[in-house]
Amino acid sequence: MFKGKVVLNQKESESIYLLGIEASKSILKSFQPGQFLKIKINERMDPLIPRPFTIHALKENTVYILYQVVGKGTKALSKIKKGEIIEFLGPLGKPFPRLKNYLICAGGIGIAGFGFLLQKSMKKRKFYPPEKIFYGARTRTELVRLSFLKNFNIPIEVATDDGSKGYKGFITDIVEMELKKNPKPVLACGPKKMLKKIAEIGEKYRIKTYLVMETFLACGIGFCKGCVVPLKKGNYAHLCIDGPTFLAEEIEFEFLS
Amino acid sequence: MLASGTWGLGENLNKFLTPKEIRENIGALVSKGISINPKEGNPPPRLFETPSGLINSIGLENPGIKEFKKTYLPKLKSYKVPIIVNLHGEKIEDFIELAEELKEEKIAGLELNISCPNVKKGGLAFSSDPKTVLELVKEMRKIWGNFLAVKLSPMGPVYEIAKICEKAEADAIVVANTYPALAVLNIKPLKILQGGLSGPAIKPLTLRLVYEISKKIKIPVIGCGGIISGKDALEYLLCGAKAFQIGTANLIDPRSALKIIKELKDLKNGLCS
Repeated sequence: MFKGKVVLNQKESESIYLLGIEASKSILKSFQPGQFLKIKINERMDPLIPRPFTIHALKENTVYILYQVVGKGTKALSKIKKGEIIEFLGPLGKPFPRLKNYLICAGGIGIAGFGFLLQKSMKKRKFYPPEKIFYGARTRTELVRLSFLKNFNIPIEVATDDGSKGYKGFITDIVEMELKKNPKPVLACGPKKMLKKIAEIGEKYRIKTYLVMETFLACGIGFCKGCVVPLKKGNYAHLCIDGPTFLAEEIEFEFLS
Repeated sequence: MLASGTWGLGENLNKFLTPKEIRENIGALVSKGISINPKEGNPPPRLFETPSGLINSIGLENPGIKEFKKTYLPKLKSYKVPIIVNLHGEKIEDFIELAEELKEEKIAGLELNISCPNVKKGGLAFSSDPKTVLELVKEMRKIWGNFLAVKLSPMGPVYEIAKICEKAEADAIVVANTYPALAVLNIKPLKILQGGLSGPAIKPLTLRLVYEISKKIKIPVIGCGGIISGKDALEYLLCGAKAFQIGTANLIDPRSALKIIKELKDLKNGLCS
């Protein structure tokens, strides 16, 4: 595991935080968008297993993680103070697929990994920028990091369940409207329900859709075989080494329910 | 030793440990459990974290003996540390067949997983039936001259099984496998996960087993259960273990073994000075 110094752990909404970890540039330079880190929350044994977090952004010597407090691991993480040293393992998993002329669809904290993709895509070398970003959340205050996302000059459409900002309803509704007019690949990350809808839309319009999946994982490096994703072929993929991004049509549909 | 099922089959081990670090810190690599035919393993979820513990229900996912020999074993041998192959079967004949397959291979030994169900006894675990274990180890001993260890389940007639392994001339026993456990995943509708509990949560339980068993038998006891620090390892050694395996710690950090060995050396040096 590598050691890093916490330089930021700031509240972005009621339950979403932005964590900045300063680490050696030689470690950070190998990071790719779509990959994740496993962060050891503390020296205690509970939580025992370091938690996986997608890389949100990278700036100079600092890697940023955008996370939502959902359980004891993330709750403990939210209490970490500036200046503390934490350990992490990574980068783990495969980077995002290299897409051109595509859309991003993010639901809730699913926006996290796309910040780094946007950063990297500006160089248009390994990664290309999306044509549009669709970002949905339950309510206005949960749409975080909008000013950061706007820096990249890519159109952003937002939706909220309660209509407090943007389209009132599911983000997938407006993604579908867009695809009806102009079909193109979609890279999506968010709740399972949203991913399922994206997979359905992809099938309906015969569009390649890529889903960033989530599951509890332990080792993160292919040791334990614990993080399986059932495939249509009948076998299993291991999220930590084969994912976390999968082509929707390869995933066993019931797993998304 | 690195415990079975906690470092895969070595595919990614060298991404985290250098060959030198492996050679200098790891006494043996105990492979993931191998069966005759490939196994896909259980559907998800396969894991659940508990306070200081981890429940797993992997379902013995493995490529099967033929693929293991062809694809994985050559790489494992290249690490130049003793390789112990963990075997599991549905009946005694399966273990024999697996051992026959490995006879010509240059491996350090075998570890028998007797926590798996015996189809000839209605799916009851081998470990719950001393007679079957006696027959299994005796039969294996007939065809396997090298190091032979039996990995005990912590449940059932543990002490009797330990004595039987000694009687049947096993070279060592590993104490112990995971503890049968259950997690509630969802309250309404009730959804559960049954699997084996490992990690620091089980250390006091297995430490007691090691302590009691090592008083009862003369063959070496290899301690395995919740070791994540040098102090844990030292405790096992002080309580009768002649060697120890590191399991769940590998899932926390693939370099745990190095940390544990260093801490253990420092502790031993401290005790001697």
